[in-house]
Amino acid sequence: MSAEIFDKANSLLAEIEAYDITDAASLEAFRIRFLGSKNVLKGLFAEMRNIDPDRKKEFGLLVNKVKQAAAGRHETMSGSLSSTSSGAVDVPDMSLPAGNRHAGGRHPLTVVQNRMVEIFGRLGFAVVEGPEIDDDWHNFTALNTPEDHPARDMQDTFYVQLEPAMMLRTQTSSAQAHEMEKGELPIRIISPGRVYRNETISARAHCQFHQVEGLYIAENVSFADLKQTLVYFAKEMFHADIKVRLRPSFFPFTEPSAEMDITCLICGGPGCTVCKKTGWVEILGCGMVDPNVLENCGIDSEKYTGFAFGIGVERTAMLYYQVDDLRLFFENDMRFLKQFRSVLQ
Amino acid sequence: MKISYNWLKDYLAIDLPAEEVAEVLTQIGLEVEGLEKQTSVEGGLEGLVVGHVLSAEQHPNADRLRVTKVDVGAEEVLDIVCGAPNVAAGQKVVVATVGTMLYPTEGEPFKIKKGKIRGEVSMGMICAEDEIGLGHEHDGIMVLPAEVKVGTPVREVIEIKEDDIIEIDLTPNRSDATCHIGVAKDLAAALKIAKGLDVQVKMPEAAKATAGSGASVDVVVNRTDLCPRYAGVVLTGLTVKESPEFIRERLEAIGVKTINNIVDVTNFILHEMGQPLHAFDADKIKGKKIVVDALPQDTGFVTLDGDERKLSEQDLIICDADMDGMCIAGVYGGLGTGVTDSTTSIFLESACFDAGNTRRTSKRHNLRTDAAMRFEKGVDPNGCVIALKRAVDLILESAGGVVSSEFVDIYPEPIAPKEIRLKYRHVTRLLGIDIPAEEIREILAALEIEILSSDEESMLVRVPSNKTDVYREADVIEEILRIYGIDRVPLPATIQSSIAYEQKPNGYKVEQQISDFLASRGLQEIVAPSVSKSKYYSEEEQAGGMVSLLNSMNSELDAMRMEMCYSGLEVIHRNQNHKNNDLALFEFGKTYRKEEGAYIETRHLTCYICGRAAGENWKEQPAKADFYDIKRTVDELVARLGLKINATEPCEESKFVYGMLYKSQNRPLVKFGRLAEPVLKKLSVKGPVFYAEFDVKQIMSGLKSKKVKFAGLNKFPSMRRDLALVIDEQVKFESIRAMGMKAGKHILQDINLFDIFQDEEKLGVGKKSYSVSYLFQDAKKTLKDGDVDRVMNKLMKQYEEQLGAIIRK
Repeated sequence: MSAEIFDKANSLLAEIEAYDITDAASLEAFRIRFLGSKNVLKGLFAEMRNIDPDRKKEFGLLVNKVKQAAAGRHETMSGSLSSTSSGAVDVPDMSLPAGNRHAGGRHPLTVVQNRMVEIFGRLGFAVVEGPEIDDDWHNFTALNTPEDHPARDMQDTFYVQLEPAMMLRTQTSSAQAHEMEKGELPIRIISPGRVYRNETISARAHCQFHQVEGLYIAENVSFADLKQTLVYFAKEMFHADIKVRLRPSFFPFTEPSAEMDITCLICGGPGCTVCKKTGWVEILGCGMVDPNVLENCGIDSEKYTGFAFGIGVERTAMLYYQVDDLRLFFENDMRFLKQFRSVLQ
Repeated sequence: MKISYNWLKDYLAIDLPAEEVAEVLTQIGLEVEGLEKQTSVEGGLEGLVVGHVLSAEQHPNADRLRVTKVDVGAEEVLDIVCGAPNVAAGQKVVVATVGTMLYPTEGEPFKIKKGKIRGEVSMGMICAEDEIGLGHEHDGIMVLPAEVKVGTPVREVIEIKEDDIIEIDLTPNRSDATCHIGVAKDLAAALKIAKGLDVQVKMPEAAKATAGSGASVDVVVNRTDLCPRYAGVVLTGLTVKESPEFIRERLEAIGVKTINNIVDVTNFILHEMGQPLHAFDADKIKGKKIVVDALPQDTGFVTLDGDERKLSEQDLIICDADMDGMCIAGVYGGLGTGVTDSTTSIFLESACFDAGNTRRTSKRHNLRTDAAMRFEKGVDPNGCVIALKRAVDLILESAGGVVSSEFVDIYPEPIAPKEIRLKYRHVTRLLGIDIPAEEIREILAALEIEILSSDEESMLVRVPSNKTDVYREADVIEEILRIYGIDRVPLPATIQSSIAYEQKPNGYKVEQQISDFLASRGLQEIVAPSVSKSKYYSEEEQAGGMVSLLNSMNSELDAMRMEMCYSGLEVIHRNQNHKNNDLALFEFGKTYRKEEGAYIETRHLTCYICGRAAGENWKEQPAKADFYDIKRTVDELVARLGLKINATEPCEESKFVYGMLYKSQNRPLVKFGRLAEPVLKKLSVKGPVFYAEFDVKQIMSGLKSKKVKFAGLNKFPSMRRDLALVIDEQVKFESIRAMGMKAGKHILQDINLFDIFQDEEKLGVGKKSYSVSYLFQDAKKTLKDGDVDRVMNKLMKQYEEQLGAIIRK
């Protein structure tokens, strides 16, 4: 009895090896016969009980060999059939459009702002936020800009109705005052955020825009440190061999104060309408924190010095992407936004 | 502020190109924002030459034209057709040869071309005055003196005046540089230090004017707090006429309108020395007395422009004996006492008014005059009389007359120049550079800052009183840096930094990660305005703490947004107008509200989906976006953030037709749903629009409490069971799911709905069939059929009893 069953197994093995597989149809017939849910090998397993106990192990090994041969032959043949492109596998028209999902993307302002945050982050500046609706003290007075100071003319302020002591911050510098008042030194922060000016909306002015404010206060912080940080920023933000200049300027909350220009990216230097024919465009204001500001915020100006700076995000984005109308950033027209979809940060 | 380079050169003997001067000025903080060449003749008479008319014959085909032969000193004599009646042989004339650009007084510039006029060749043009921009004369060609040489460029014959106008964006702290002498002094300091040039500012000649003993005016200053110094003098016997040419030329160059030889001198001194002056017609000063005082609130006053203004009791007014106003001090004159053509005597005022008060008055009346702009920066109290005397000299020179009175000078408390101690180590500490003491001395000397004494550590300096903004050590250090040159500050090779710890979770970073996630799921980020319109909100809503703005320059933009969705719908509206209807957007932004006296700014993340959920394609008809698109976005984000939702419930807010609320940590995390029609209608947006609004603070709070701990790999197999449940239409999937999770305890890992089937014939009216899968897995052992069957049997029973489900087998 055992021998018969052994023969049956061996003949199946021979059949497997000799089976004529030429196309998808014969491959499928092979699969059904040897590997399908009702395959012939199942009969062999059923015969197990009829095997002499001392040959059971031998038989088990043989059946396994048959099974593996079937699986192996199937795999080999299905591989070779599809690779001969006999027409059994359909090759799709790979030129058909694939996608049906909408494309998303980031807004150019946040892309530019994030680059700034990332660059300063590398220099150890942590991000903090300040309120947008603020009081006169934090936005002006603490920053050495008392009432009647002509510097208040530099900015047209939105005041809150019924409570004109409150205003929309005109500058992220207000975050400086909040940070200093916490009384934890040293301070090394940047504060990105939205600011407001009561101006008529035009291609070059808006009633709201974004700034990134920076503040570093510690012992022995100097103007040279300020210059180093900001020159590094400009080169990282734009490109390494961009020409940068700092020139003296005025802000009530810094002394000395300066503004930083870079060579005009629109005309490259000879002068155009963007740079008012000077070849330079301003990208930020900065300076050493005024001793009055330190004292106003309870910091000993004999012991500590510091620098502060403020960068316009829209202005930088306009230069960076050569956008000529500020309003585009807030209109969010898809025809505008989709131009920045491929932009990584 | 406009500076004429020629005017500047009156005080500074330099011959640098204007561009170089502009660069130096910018480097010392007088930012040049415009540099314009000014010429008295546009085009500079370029290309025009002196010609000699050899012959002038009648044109054969035109009565009014002549055919001339003109020698312009070239090899060939030119044939030129000329229409002027006065052209004649023997004249010396101005010839524009072929190729020359002409800049006529009126009309557009044009180029001379070779041409034929009525059949006769014309190789140029004989010009009239107006054709070359010299005047308006067009009756005939210009005839030059006989002695000029043929072929000479015309610009060597006719004098052209050229100037460079330097436009400076003057910062509010530079009271010392509001005038030509001030700029010249600063420029000289920079040229000395930075360029090593030996330049000295040449001040105007010392005034010759001396006091008179004739008619005078009494002056009383009642408000010395607002007027620290008041000086003046009476001049009589004057003749008002046009100013001398040098004054007109200087003023016209910087765009100041010339009026007469009195008013022009006051303007000249203002722009030369920075001291505003005012001339009163002395005969119109009632009672021959001047009182400096404030007047009662709402007193009427007619200013020079003819407008009647209501004065504030805060305004400082120059009054006469009757206490009638004559001039708003330091701001604007009155009509009644202004200088006219018939004026013969004046009272000339040179005063120092309080900066803050002048500024308030100037702003109150919206009179931002040149004088006011200087007073509010701070005028040098010690310069009043010097300026007054120089003005008197200039007026007497052109208007005749004499000084009639004494020089009045009311200066009860003279303001001494400030003395400041400057420590060298503070210079080094603040600037990060070691400037040798010797160089500091040179810089200070160049700035006219006097060194009173010095020792090894410090020096005591005295700052001229025209630098009103330099009153502390830091201010002096800034002056040093300006002239030393920011350029020369070296970049340190290493970075000095303090240690900063980041907040956890880092809210800024999380927002960026969320944004990148949503962008990669097909949503476009928007940045919408937060200054918005009150009209979006009902009166009741407005009363709930709307933050309104005073005096917005943009009508309608009068309030801070209380709701995120309107600014997003504005964006959708704009895009729908441009036929972009399929939109998926997100925004991080704030809403603003006043609650119990505090201003609350709440940060949100919002998402919008409308139009078709996918682009048009060949695989399937893209479905219209529906609730499940916004829900999928919300769920995917919640899953990405790993936030735990501990309650879901309907959101009843009126802005939704229907909506859902997810809570985490028992607080609202996100509400989402379909926006209600009345909301869309306010912005004419075509719906439906599906909207989600996350509370960012709650996201961060969820992340803060979140910890991921590795639980080991589950090596035991999972088992799946499927059920087909026929249930009433009202039964919510959530009931099926919640019941299942409860019954399944720890071995039921997931429940999913994989098919919905509705058929009135097969299932009956109001019924639906849900195909639900259940995935089981135990972390500790291989599950047996019996374990799973026990749960499934219990569950089926519950479904039947509690949900009235029929289980199809």
